Amino acid sequence: MRRTYFESPIVMTTVRLVAPFALTYGAFVTLHGAESPGGGFQGGVVVAATVITVAFAFGVRPTVDWVDERVVVGVFAGGMLAFGAVTVGTVLLGGAVLQVDLLPVSTKYGIEAVEVFIGAIVAGVVTSLFFLLSEGGDGE
Amino acid sequence: MTVALELALVVFVVSTAVATAVLRDIVASIAVFAAFSLGISVIWLVLQAPDVALTEAAVGAGIMSVLLLVTVAKTARASDEGALVSVNPRALAAVGLLLLVLVSTVPALPEVGSEEAPALQKTVDGELTPYGYYVEEAYNETGVENSVTAVLVYYRGFDTFGEATVVFSAVVGVLVALGGSRRWGEE
Repeated sequence: MRRTYFESPIVMTTVRLVAPFALTYGAFVTLHGAESPGGGFQGGVVVAATVITVAFAFGVRPTVDWVDERVVVGVFAGGMLAFGAVTVGTVLLGGAVLQVDLLPVSTKYGIEAVEVFIGAIVAGVVTSLFFLLSEGGDGE
Repeated sequence: MTVALELALVVFVVSTAVATAVLRDIVASIAVFAAFSLGISVIWLVLQAPDVALTEAAVGAGIMSVLLLVTVAKTARASDEGALVSVNPRALAAVGLLLLVLVSTVPALPEVGSEEAPALQKTVDGELTPYGYYVEEAYNETGVENSVTAVLVYYRGFDTFGEATVVFSAVVGVLVALGGSRRWGEE
């Protein structure tokens, strides 16, 4: 396969500077979906994009090792399970699907919690897709 | 000013879309497609849809380009015989005809943000429309200021759950195809 990674101190320094802010922005967008544009989907994508930027700067293989794919799978599987639990749970409590006001939190925080689950799913899924497409499938 | 900006955006988006279609080099095509997505996301912003703009910029311009590039790097690249693909004149005529039909419907659309727009009517025959209901009730019922979020998670939560499941299933498929039982990509 062609060599796709070139080490560049400029790119590495830039990413090192930008990544914490981008990650914070992703968390902000996820957690503030109730008051401002955005939500779990957009926030999750921003978080995943940050991981991908890091992978571009420092190489995919080191990033996969650093993040650990089990964590990534755990994040999106956990998000899916939690989202499913809320979905099924609200029905079992006798309400409509995702009628989060049945939960012991205010409706707003119920919605925020679901946004966080969506963010986890999207962040994990996009990161996995990137890792898998760029590193998986070799050596079969 | 705004009209000039909108016109420039439309010209930019249309030209990048055409360039995406006619460029032979697939990497160049992906790069132009990312620029197209960025242009579209600004258009969403002009149309006052910041949620969609955010998604378009992050997914369309960012993630999609990266995933496409990574896939292309793994597979083949087109041989370089000229910068542009040859265009089939009959296909071009068919596309032009379709474009003509679509554009002919544009004058029938209400102006952006027009209060007469059917989608922005709060009541029809004295009854609340879905739009009217969300605008009037979403905050009172959920305490969420961004009614888009309220609709996505609360009123249309079942659809959102379906979407999440689709995304989840996609990655499980890729995981089965490329992941294997070993740690990813380890020789």
